[in-house]
Amino acid sequence: MTATHLISEDAFASLLDRLIQDMPVMGPVERRDQPGFYRFDRLEKTADLQVAYTTTTIPPKKFFFPPVDEMFTFDQSGPLHIEEQAEGSPFVLVGVHPCDLAAIEALDAAYAFPPADMRWIRRRKQAVIIGMECRPDDYCFCTSLGTADARAPADLFLTPLDEGYLAEVHSPMGSVLLSDTAARQATKNDRKAAEQVLQRKIEAVTARLTTSVSQLADILEYGGLTAVWRETAERCYSCGSCNITCPTCFCFSIEDTLDADLSGGQRQRSWDACQLLDFARVAGGHNFRGDRWQRVRHRWHRKFLYLYRRFGRPYCTGCGRCSRACTADINIVDITNRLVAHFQQEHKP
Amino acid sequence: MKEPTGYEKLGYVPEIAHVLKAVPMTEQEIFLDLRLPGKTELGHAPGQFVQVSLMGIGEVPISICSSPTRGDTFQLCIREAGTVTHGLHRIARYAQLGIRGPFGKGFPLAELFGRDLVLVAGGLGIAPLRSLITYILDRREDFGRLIVIYGGKNPRTLLFKEDLADWDKRSDVELIVTVDRGDETWQGRTGVATEPLAELDLQAVNTRAVVIGPPVLYRFAAMALFEHGLTPETIFFSLERNFHCGIGKCGHCQLNDLYVCQDGPVFRLARLLDRIEAVEAWAPEEDQDR
Ligand SMILES: Cc1cc2nc3c(=O)[nH]c(=O)nc-3n(C[C@H](O)[C@H](O)[C@H](O)COP(=O)(O)OP(=O)(O)OC[C@H]3O[C@@H](n4cnc5c(N)ncnc54)[C@H](O)[C@@H]3O)c2cc1C
Ligand code: FES
Repeated sequence: MTATHLISEDAFASLLDRLIQDMPVMGPVERRDQPGFYRFDRLEKTADLQVAYTTTTIPPKKFFFPPVDEMFTFDQSGPLHIEEQAEGSPFVLVGVHPCDLAAIEALDAAYAFPPADMRWIRRRKQAVIIGMECRPDDYCFCTSLGTADARAPADLFLTPLDEGYLAEVHSPMGSVLLSDTAARQATKNDRKAAEQVLQRKIEAVTARLTTSVSQLADILEYGGLTAVWRETAERCYSCGSCNITCPTCFCFSIEDTLDADLSGGQRQRSWDACQLLDFARVAGGHNFRGDRWQRVRHRWHRKFLYLYRRFGRPYCTGCGRCSRACTADINIVDITNRLVAHFQQEHKP
Repeated sequence: MKEPTGYEKLGYVPEIAHVLKAVPMTEQEIFLDLRLPGKTELGHAPGQFVQVSLMGIGEVPISICSSPTRGDTFQLCIREAGTVTHGLHRIARYAQLGIRGPFGKGFPLAELFGRDLVLVAGGLGIAPLRSLITYILDRREDFGRLIVIYGGKNPRTLLFKEDLADWDKRSDVELIVTVDRGDETWQGRTGVATEPLAELDLQAVNTRAVVIGPPVLYRFAAMALFEHGLTPETIFFSLERNFHCGIGKCGHCQLNDLYVCQDGPVFRLARLLDRIEAVEAWAPEEDQDR
């Protein structure tokens, strides 16, 4: 059984104070440009941490896979010299909700799949992760994807209670974190209180898929859904916001930049989006997903069929970010349920 | 998390290769002979590709057109098609190029051993095929008949003319070169590559076929091969997609659930037939209702 402790808010605050002095600590802070919206950023002080945030616009994957990741620099003023760019230093990521924990775990699987992506893996190993129980909004649908109570890969997971936090230790690093912190063994009542918080949360999640993830994969594989893809594509602007805000999207492009002296420069990879028009275009002009509905379909297929079959889990955690960000108000739950309804309609007994 | 081992070499940092030779082949293609530092062999299999980079301009996937049976250099044939390939044409001779790879699954050598082979190339498709043809010629007794059909637009666009002349002289290679349109000097065949393919006399059970070419070639070549009794199990296609990483991560090359860079670029046709994004295997005009 997971070891559980109860730590007071003050004890947690002093733990964070200590961590902030030792190394960068990243956590949810309120966006100054958009009050009421949050982002993961470096905490300058413990008070910056917004424990009760709803969600962030951009998921925490950015710390392991930066939007623009400088991979190496080169210098051609003499014989070509290439220097790999190191991937940062140890840090703490605090306040990660269960859906985002599940997403990091999903990306661990994808990036470690041979041949492994060492840039992701090295950065992941530098991070200590402290998870935090969440408060859902209308877009959340984690209960349909089994991620409502996800814990891995958190080292420590906190559930806010009246008296402080119930702290679940999920790794040796988790107990190291608590070793210098005033904590007491959690009682049965503490654990029950945390369970009630989880239950209340689950009840608060009202958006729901009308089918299981395994049935959804079967339905997508069976096909015959073009009408829904086309309908959705008519509203879609192919802006890629859904990809960019998705915690489990991991596509990128690789490009070079050249310094003004034309001899130095860098190669970087940056987040890319399969919804953009030229994602699958090749030289000569052929575009393997030139129609918008094909790109819309690709996104659903990748999340709920291809990667589901490859890694045994959907590449969606129900965080709802794509629906919140969509410039055309396309809601992933609505469209998925429409696909299911369309299939059922076509296959009435 | 657990650290996977043995894949360090497959990162994003290229090795620096030296250009030993850069020779224009046609108006559009240039031939490069390259060597890795310390004369390290590339260690590729026929049909694999490398990611070639010109620093500051970018990186592109290019098939290795030489056979691993031939020494410590490796060769590429590059068509000018856009930004990076344009740069390679202009300055490859003076530059040190970045090389990552070899990547991908090449031709199914184990399955080709002992069989009659029909290799069909259109245009630039001859580049990856040359790697296989050279490999076969270096171990000729391990294979059955070797039939090579190569179609080009016109005589000026034909690649590897010296190799073609060599192969043509050999009695153990059945080489058929055809061009869409001849010129005053052309004494060979004209017409599309699928015509000589239809005329072949084949023992289908013991034959394997490979097709590489522009998108239109695949389907018509497959149809002609079916007429001979070959099946989706005995025909192989090598495909092209947009590549960025070459190692199954960036998502650009995806063909339904397959990563062309890792699961391919060489695929058994049977593996493509039920995948709607394999437009080479399907009629693109058919509604992809899936
Ligand atoms: C497995 C494989 C083997 C290939 N073998 C050869 C070969 O032997 N000789 C040869 O001349 N060409 C080959 N190509 C095609 C070659 O990769 C493209 O012509 C080249 O990428 C075009 O890049 P560009 O910058 O010159 O063109 P642009 O159109 O200016 O740029 C296209 C952009 O898309 C990216 N891109 C990635 N993959 C491709 C692609 N397949 N086609 C077009 N753009 C791509 C490029 O990085 C670039 O950023 C091969 C392609 C693949 C997939
Ligand atoms: S080229 Fe990046 S996944 Fe294949």
